Amino acid sequence: MNLFHFILQNHEQVLELTLEHLWLVGVSTLLAVLIGIPLGIVSARWPAWNRPVLGAANIIQTIPSLALFGFLLPVPWLGDRADRLAILALTLYALLPVIRNTYTGIRGVDPAVVEAGRGMGLTDSQLLLQVELPLSMSVILSGVRVAVVVSVGLATIAAAIGAGGLGEFIFRGLAMVNNQLILAGAIPAAILALSADFGLGWIERRLQPR
Amino acid sequence: MKQSRRGWEAYRAVEALFKARWQISILLLLSLLLSSCSPPSHNDRIVIGSKNFTESLILGELLAQQIEAHSQLKVERRFYLAGTYICQQAMLAGRIDIYPEYTGTALTAILKQQVGGDKQQVYQRVKREYENHFGLTLGPPFGFNDSFALEIRGEDARRLGLKTLSQAAAYAPQWRAGFGYEFMERPDGYAGLAAAYDLHFASPPRVMDLGLLAPALKARQIDIAAGNTTDGLVPALDLFVLEDDRHYFPPYEAVAVIRQQALQQHPQVAQAVADLAGKISDQEMQKLNYALDGQHRDVKDVAQEFLRSKGLL
Amino acid sequence: MEQHATESTVIEFRDVAYTLPNHQRLLSGLNLQVKRGETLVLLGRSGSGKTTTLKLINRLLIPSAGDVLVNGSSTSKTDVIQLRRSIGYVIQEVGLFPHFTVEKNIGLVPRIEGWPADRIRGRVEELLQMVGFESKLGSRYPHELSGGQRQRVGVARALAADPAILLMDEPFGALDALTRDQLQREFLALQQRLNKTVVFVTHDLREALRLGSRIALMETGRLITVLPPEDFLRSTDPLASAYAQALAEASVPAANRGTS
Repeated sequence: MNLFHFILQNHEQVLELTLEHLWLVGVSTLLAVLIGIPLGIVSARWPAWNRPVLGAANIIQTIPSLALFGFLLPVPWLGDRADRLAILALTLYALLPVIRNTYTGIRGVDPAVVEAGRGMGLTDSQLLLQVELPLSMSVILSGVRVAVVVSVGLATIAAAIGAGGLGEFIFRGLAMVNNQLILAGAIPAAILALSADFGLGWIERRLQPR
Repeated sequence: MKQSRRGWEAYRAVEALFKARWQISILLLLSLLLSSCSPPSHNDRIVIGSKNFTESLILGELLAQQIEAHSQLKVERRFYLAGTYICQQAMLAGRIDIYPEYTGTALTAILKQQVGGDKQQVYQRVKREYENHFGLTLGPPFGFNDSFALEIRGEDARRLGLKTLSQAAAYAPQWRAGFGYEFMERPDGYAGLAAAYDLHFASPPRVMDLGLLAPALKARQIDIAAGNTTDGLVPALDLFVLEDDRHYFPPYEAVAVIRQQALQQHPQVAQAVADLAGKISDQEMQKLNYALDGQHRDVKDVAQEFLRSKGLL
Repeated sequence: MEQHATESTVIEFRDVAYTLPNHQRLLSGLNLQVKRGETLVLLGRSGSGKTTTLKLINRLLIPSAGDVLVNGSSTSKTDVIQLRRSIGYVIQEVGLFPHFTVEKNIGLVPRIEGWPADRIRGRVEELLQMVGFESKLGSRYPHELSGGQRQRVGVARALAADPAILLMDEPFGALDALTRDQLQREFLALQQRLNKTVVFVTHDLREALRLGSRIALMETGRLITVLPPEDFLRSTDPLASAYAQALAEASVPAANRGTS
């Protein structure tokens, strides 16, 4: 039977693994946004923090993902549940694009606008919330888009440590030397990544300041 | 005054946060929902997993067909999961409901405890710990033990009247031994065995690839090798497994690990699994392994044939 | 330049100096008073310290020495946010918020000051009229406006909360000569009507003569002289007369230059 029939026949499993995959990506991206955007704001506002924050995020990104999974496995609370570990690792990898783009976005706001805002008597937080963040939204979202696409890819590797998701099809297929199984995991994963890229890119363009 | 300015700023920051309270609470709610979300539970079906080697695959398929035949449940197979940790994680996350495991492996690799006691004691210990800590339980043993096995040529066993390792130890100085790398390195491998049975070989054992051990034994390049008790090639090549009469090797009884929640939801499963208790002997498992590894038959056919022969289908 | 501070002194500089972290002196020994209702022009070349002086008033810069007083209180002792909200600030690049409409731009300070919505709307309407805008342009975005229109919005925005003081940093410098002329005329009309205290920075003597009630000439961080426009052209101060000379020469058509 061809791939299409295979997926149709096993559609429940495909759906379940896809949902697992989305959950891994969704939670980790949300956490990366909740942590990364404030960190980006801090490093933009107080340049002294710029080097340590971006530097740390950079170092994390350099560690090969499978190695990071391996490092975290023996850690007590984390290693007990593979999905916890995977979400932590995915969050860490998603941090750099979010932090860096938040920093760039805020720094990239027209200095005249910032000066006018300051001169008018906007407080730092008003300036941030009403002017700088709205004007950086497009750039920040671009960082989130990169984070999501990277996460979809990394989540397939997370199956190697038992976190589930579409990667499980791929690994099982490899062990059984079964191409259909491999593709049943690889193709939905690729579609997920492409849709996320396309969808978020569309929103990004709508948000660009004129 | 710097202080009043900081206070003023902090007030305005809180004021801004307050103004955004709706957006913030929606965001918080979303994150809470997402984090408490767990993968969908299986209401009308049961998922059976297996590890990525032949014996585990056969046991998984036996469980699957048994449950299919004796309940209305839809059975989903998730075989070839890459190892003990992956299977355990899949069980904890509810992604699979049953998979075949070995008591000795559960004790050392998952519960991370020292081996000790006979097979009954080990079984009870694992069952208790699994029930207390993981919400998992064990089915009754399938009836065979898959542990390290010292093998000699069948003709030597018959000629010298050897049945146990203690008896064979006397001939050790005249024999050459061949072991796999892991068996040589593990503290509970060769080193412990030699101590337990007072084994002295003429020359140090040869370290070989696992797959080459049986042919080398047959070709008289070695006289004793360490394999698995249920190796498919044992009967085919007329090899003999020496009995571990001093119980050096821990028990590795094959059992089904089951999620307690799945049992509660589908009580029929318990009966289906219990029907397999004690139905597979060491020799029978060897034959099943050989059917796949040696004869390259399809696992579904082999499993069905076996279940019919036992009157379970 | 030593004038006694009177009740009509709105802004006062007492011995103010401003030095950069790298020890570069941008301003030294500045003593200056700005009277209520006057338009004080800070005139000078780039690097003369005029923009620095302006920014010390709304504390966008902090003096390295001396004291800046607004309405009698030192700026180091008043809450800086309240200070800035009570002073209108217009810069050359305008700095309109690109994601806000004209109306939202103008109404920003009233909004954060907590004015009721209809009061804000009314005030925005009033200001649009004041700067000669049709009210339908209120829902446009900054990128849809011309340079001159943008600066008009900038001025309206600065006047939104009806501040008594207006600071303007070369506001018409980036515009073409015709628009500049038009806006200067509109500024004069507005000043007639509103009578704000204005500190206006420019490097253009003609603009200074036209708009200022007094001209404060600055050079390399020092205040050289403060004169009303009519006295400026007759001044014996070497720098002032150099300016006047340059102005005269610039007004002569190219063909005639060099003959006198």
